[in-house]
Order: sequence, then structure tokens, then C-alpha cells
Amino acid sequence: MEQKYLTRLKISNISKSFPNKEGKRELAVDNISLDVYDGEFLVLLGPGRCGKSVLLNMIAGLMKPDEGKVVLDGEEITKPNPQMGMVFQKTGLLPWLTVMDNITFGPRQRGESKKIYTERAQKYIDMVGLTGFEKSYPYQLSGGMKQRVGIARAYTNEPKILIMDEPFGALDAQTRYSMEQEVQNIVEKDRRTIIFVTNNIEEALMLGDRIILFTNYPARIKKIYDVNISKPRDTMDRTFLMLRKEISENTDLAL
Amino acid sequence: MRIKKEKISTEYKMKYSIWYHVLPFLSIGLLIAVWYLGSSSNPMIFPTPNTVLRRMIELSQNKLSGYTLIGHMGVSLLRVAVSLGLAIIIGVPLGVLIGWSRGVRATIGAVFECIRPIPMLAWIPLMVMWFGIGEKSKIIMIFMAALMPIVVNSYTGIKMISPLYLDVGKMFNASTEWQLLRSIVLPAALPTIFAGIRNATSMALMVVLAAEMIAARAGLGFLINRGMEVFDVSLVMSGMVAIGVTGALVAVLTNFIERKLCPWNRSI
Repeated sequence: MEQKYLTRLKISNISKSFPNKEGKRELAVDNISLDVYDGEFLVLLGPGRCGKSVLLNMIAGLMKPDEGKVVLDGEEITKPNPQMGMVFQKTGLLPWLTVMDNITFGPRQRGESKKIYTERAQKYIDMVGLTGFEKSYPYQLSGGMKQRVGIARAYTNEPKILIMDEPFGALDAQTRYSMEQEVQNIVEKDRRTIIFVTNNIEEALMLGDRIILFTNYPARIKKIYDVNISKPRDTMDRTFLMLRKEISENTDLAL
Repeated sequence: MRIKKEKISTEYKMKYSIWYHVLPFLSIGLLIAVWYLGSSSNPMIFPTPNTVLRRMIELSQNKLSGYTLIGHMGVSLLRVAVSLGLAIIIGVPLGVLIGWSRGVRATIGAVFECIRPIPMLAWIPLMVMWFGIGEKSKIIMIFMAALMPIVVNSYTGIKMISPLYLDVGKMFNASTEWQLLRSIVLPAALPTIFAGIRNATSMALMVVLAAEMIAARAGLGFLINRGMEVFDVSLVMSGMVAIGVTGALVAVLTNFIERKLCPWNRSI
């Protein structure tokens, strides 16, 4: 079944270790190989601090793997790669820029024409529901709105692959739930390849076409789940609940 | 889905802001009252606020050593402005370089760390011996005093930038060092750099007085010093009030500029 998909991102045998308190090197990511297919919503699920973020940073090119390589559309990634659109866990909005200027930061740095990128930015601002807030500064926004800006910024940069690093981790449960639905709406309107990291099983099941379950530190692939439930998904659906139970029982405890 | 703009409860703000606007006047009133009480004992040594105010008005109308009180204020302010301007032009890039480049930090930064603990006033005799007591030596003295906090703050501002902002820059096409510096590092450090400029301003106001007290024919420091020489306490105190007013005006001005330059910074 996987044969009919085009592989966009190929992660082969990457490992990364860091020195611990005693000065010995400790593995954070252990020999992970993974293909990301065109247009899929891939969820990386693992207990908190299991090394997912390290893996993500290597995919984005912000960190170099000790071993193995990451290849995007046939090109090896060796430095920070803006072709990956990153939605940061801590939003990473630049406080000195307005919503509009934050969102158009990428195209501006690239030297795109203002008319083109402003139009595109406005489309995504409208899509994430921030119309009317273009001139606000980040400090004037709530947590959920900030992450909307983060998402619009990533889309406006027109990435080949979108990476979302626990984007809703800092939000309260209610906001988180509505943001998940929001993301689903956006994905429906503007299909892209997405890698979404979370430690929340329900969130993974709500959004993912495929879920990669990781072990606790160091991160290794424990199991891969194909979620063949049509979207939008019902959290009370039988298959949903069964999968949820199965993943839950299979998840390592984060201590 | 659209989110409606929230309106800040103005009622709540009003209720508390009036009280906080009145309080400063009460405390300043108290200060003047204490001044009155203290000054009644010996007007020669401790003139009343009235006497000082009258003296200031008189000084504003009649020239002393070629300038009115406003003129002397202007002379001191001009010295501060020139030196401060030079210190900003040289200090900000220097501090940014020390913070940004490891090579510069290891060389110029180290030299700076050695010089920094020497209090500015200790430099004055050396400056007088080297550059005399003219305008040039005053400018250099004030410049040196203003330079230190500007360089130190610019450097710290750069060092304190969250690595997250740099990652954001790199992931969103700021691919060259210059792009990162211009579009991430400098704006992120701007509030800290500005705090340094504010410190530098008060340092400059302090040193301009010291410099003018040593040797000058004009300026507020000269007025105060002249007052001391002829035992004219009300002249000394007029100079002190004038420098206080000047300092306050300068603070208001820097705050205004800062708010224009960093509208996102709420701590101002």
C-alpha cells in the first residue's frame, strides 16, 4: 500500500547523543529510519522529553546527527533548511514585529516582492482566523492566537514540509481541542506534508494519517500505526477508542 | 472562526489610576514641606524654597558669567548631547561586535573588562593632565563615562538573546550572518541597548557636573562651584534644582524615544 506514495523525506539511521552530567555520552535518538510520504499527516508520538525534539531539530537541520542522514527530495540536509516550515513549541514569535510582519518574515528575508507575500500572508491570516489582528504585537495576543500566528507564518513561507513541534503543548485543554480542529480545517483547505509532534495520544489520533510511536529516552521507533479512520474523527468512535487503548497500553511511562 | 478584540476594562483602570496620579504630588509636597521646616533655622546656610525659586528667576533674567540660568543649562546639555551622541555611535557597534563575535570578545572585550572597574571619576585627573581643561577634555571625560554602560549593555543584550529567536531566523530564510544580525539580533537586543543608553545619560549628567566644577566658565557645574567659592548657598541650590530639572527632562525625552523605537516593549 505504501508503494503508491511518493517519499518526500527520507531519514536513514540517524543517531544523536549528548554528554550527561558525568561527562559520558548518552543517546537521545537511537538509529531511527523513517520515510515521510507526500501529503501525509505524520504524527510522532512519544512520552515527554523522549528525544522527539532532538529528532525534529535534526530533520529541520538545526542540529547535526552523529550518524545517518536526512534527505529531502533527494537533497541531504546539512544546515537549517527553510524549506521546512517550523511551528515552534514556544511559538517563537518575534516580539518586536506585528502579526503581519512576523508572518511575512520568511518571504521578506528571501527578498520576495511585497505585493505577492502580503497577499499570501493575508490568505493564511484569514484562514487561521486572525483577520483584524494584523497590526497587533504578540504580547497583545492570547496563547492560542500566538500559535495561530506561528502556523500562518510557517504556511506563508511555503515550505515543502511543515513541522509542528508540540504546538499546542502550552495551551489549556479547551483551547487545545479547538486548535486541533482548526489545524484539521486548514489541512483540508491547504494540503501539505506535515510532521506533527505530540505526547498526547488523543491529539495524535485526531490528526494523524500515520502515527509513529517512540520509546522513552533514547527515542527509538516502537510501533507504527496506520489510522484508517475518515476525518473529521469522532473521539467516541469505536475504532478510535480501540486504537487509543492499544497505543496507550503500548506507550512507555515518562518518569 | 474569528476572534473578537477584547476591550480592556476602562472603569477598572480609572479607579486606580487617579489615586496613583495624586500620590506623587503628595510626596513631592511633603519633601518641600520638610525643606521649609529645615530651612527656617538659618536662612544663610539653608535658604527656603522661596528664596531659591526667586534666585532662579533672577538668574534666568540676569546673566552670570555671560549666560542666564537657561544658558548654563544649555551649555551643560550641549556637552552631554555631543558626548552621548559620540558614545552611542561608537559604543553600540562596539558592544554588538563584542557580543556577536568571539574573536572580538576575546580581544577588545577582555581589555574592556579590565578598564571597566575603574570608576569614571578616577579618570578625570588623567584627562585634565592630558587634554587640559578646555572643551575637548570635558567632551572626552563625558564620552568615556557614557561609553561604558552603552558597550556593556549592548554586549549583554546580544548575549542574552534567546537561542529560539536565532532558530526562528534560520528556519525563516535569514541565511547570512548579516541577515541574522540585522533582523533578529539587533531588534531583540534593542531594549537592553536602550537601557544602557539611559544609564549612560545619567552617568553623563554626573560627569558633566564634575568636569564643570573642576574648570569651566559656563554650565551648571560652574554655577554650583561658583556658589561654593563665594559661599552663596542659594546659588548652589539653584544649580542643584536646575540639574534635577534637566535630568528629569532628559529622562522624559529618552523614554519618549524608547517608546517610539520599541513599541512592543511593555516595561517602559
